[in-house]
Amino acid sequence: MPIKWILHWQPNAGATVNTQIHTELSQCAESLNGVKEGRWKATLSFYRAMVREQANANEFPRDFLGISLVEQPTKYYLVIRGQRLVVEAESSIQMIMEKLQSYKMRVALNFEGNQYQLGDFRLRVGKVVLAHSEGLRGIVMEMEYLPISSWEKSHQIMGEFFDLWQEALSKSSLPGHFVHIEPNFSEFGLSDQYTSQHTAVQYATIMAQMISTAQSVQRN
Amino acid sequence: MQQAATPPPEAGDAPPKQVAQALERLGEAGRLIADVRLGADRLLEALFFVASEPHHQQSSRCLNLICKEETLMRQHLENLRTIGRQLEESGVLNDSLRSRSNSWGLHMPLVCPDGAVVAYAWKRQLAGQAGASAVDRTRSKRRFFPHLADDSTVESAAKKLCSSVPSNSQEELGDQRSVSDILSHLEKEIPNLKTFTYQRLDWFKRASALSSAANESSIELSKDHGFPSTTKLRQESASNHATDKAAVIELLLPSLFRAVISLHTAGSIDPDAVALFSPDEEHASMALQHFICVNPESALHSLLHWICSYRTLFTKVCSKCGKLLLMDKQSGLILPPVRRPFRNFSASNKTSAKNSSTESCSDLDLVLAFHISCFSDRA
Repeated sequence: MPIKWILHWQPNAGATVNTQIHTELSQCAESLNGVKEGRWKATLSFYRAMVREQANANEFPRDFLGISLVEQPTKYYLVIRGQRLVVEAESSIQMIMEKLQSYKMRVALNFEGNQYQLGDFRLRVGKVVLAHSEGLRGIVMEMEYLPISSWEKSHQIMGEFFDLWQEALSKSSLPGHFVHIEPNFSEFGLSDQYTSQHTAVQYATIMAQMISTAQSVQRN
Repeated sequence: MQQAATPPPEAGDAPPKQVAQALERLGEAGRLIADVRLGADRLLEALFFVASEPHHQQSSRCLNLICKEETLMRQHLENLRTIGRQLEESGVLNDSLRSRSNSWGLHMPLVCPDGAVVAYAWKRQLAGQAGASAVDRTRSKRRFFPHLADDSTVESAAKKLCSSVPSNSQEELGDQRSVSDILSHLEKEIPNLKTFTYQRLDWFKRASALSSAANESSIELSKDHGFPSTTKLRQESASNHATDKAAVIELLLPSLFRAVISLHTAGSIDPDAVALFSPDEEHASMALQHFICVNPESALHSLLHWICSYRTLFTKVCSKCGKLLLMDKQSGLILPPVRRPFRNFSASNKTSAKNSSTESCSDLDLVLAFHISCFSDRA
């Protein structure tokens, strides 16, 4: 499947994220002749192990994430970043975990926004909101290049597109910029051929930054 | 003169009958195209003749023949249009296919797993542009009105116009006379390249399988072995390599692109049409015509090598602007350098065949790459 970069918005020191920035980003995509294709949504949940004895709690991972992606409606991805684990499961796993009372969802985040087609590129600009809440906690972007499915081979062209995008954004003087972090996929047992598991790992990787952004938004 | 009189298509036809009908019409179209080519050749020969010797006593006869040939040509083109309409009505040329790509094609794979859009050059053939390319063929073939006495003048006029043919390429290709030879050599030269050959009807099956799979998860497509019918087709195509009844060649560079080349008659090495992902399909077809004009016998060899020069599509920066991506003003799309010049292209790289393990050798550097607007802007 086509490769994708997941980027997160890093606000400048002292600045915050708001809906205005999200609107400007969407307009920037349109200024590059992007054609609006519709909306997209992804969900990320933090899970906590349910243990009877508190003493055992530390044996269980703290960063257990579950991710649902719009391009895989029947799958659910589980990531434990600390141990470099990623698993693709059926979406019924959520129900199973709930019934077994083994893991409980602590916090859920929704990523939602518009999707744009720019020739062979596909951009998704998304707001990060807490489930069942309205406040904007952050902004993410998915940058997809349809012709290539190899991570290595796409690197140069994706880098150039990212630069092109940053250049287009610089005209709007927004108080922040997008950051791309590249996880080491081979540590997760993933190959050069891109899959949804790569996407899940990228989302898990940006979570630390997303959390600190969300907390600073909340403080303001 | 052929009259295209066929019964109206029936919606309830079983697929094999539709296929047979479509193939028959395509065959007819092919014959009409050949007639158009011959007619155009004759017209141009006569024009050259008259132009070079305006006061020759035969020139008035020549002019009459030109008028007669023109009428014939119009009839052929009209018949071609009729066939085109019939193919459209019978659903072979499909509206949904048309809207998804910029060209109307016949059950072609529209979205390559690793190439954006495949535009079929059949459109050009059926629209009669084969006539236009006759200009090039005139320069290299012997065709003349038999009843013109002074055919030696015509021949020398044609020879003057002919571009110089590199004389060494003939010897190098001496052992590459068949499709399977050419493809085996190519696979050795270029790492990761996979080639497949198909007979005409097998290609039809393959193309519709690819086209329907393009609507499903593209994970299936990106692994060729995940394709249920591919193994069977591969076994058939393995035997095709040997029997050389191949009518269609498919080139696949995994993660890069897929190209499709049609051969003029099954088993020959004369390329007829080419489909290569490209936002402007003209370029590949022009390259094909150029290679045929320069040296028809090595046309397939040159074309395949030229197509393979696209393996640097996502890594080689434009030789003019130095960047990989550029917003194309005409289409409004951000594209990599999709133009590879073909005019001075030489496929005779003996050294590269020996050093095929080290792909970074000079032959790749010699082939320049350009964005569409950078290509037309260059001096």
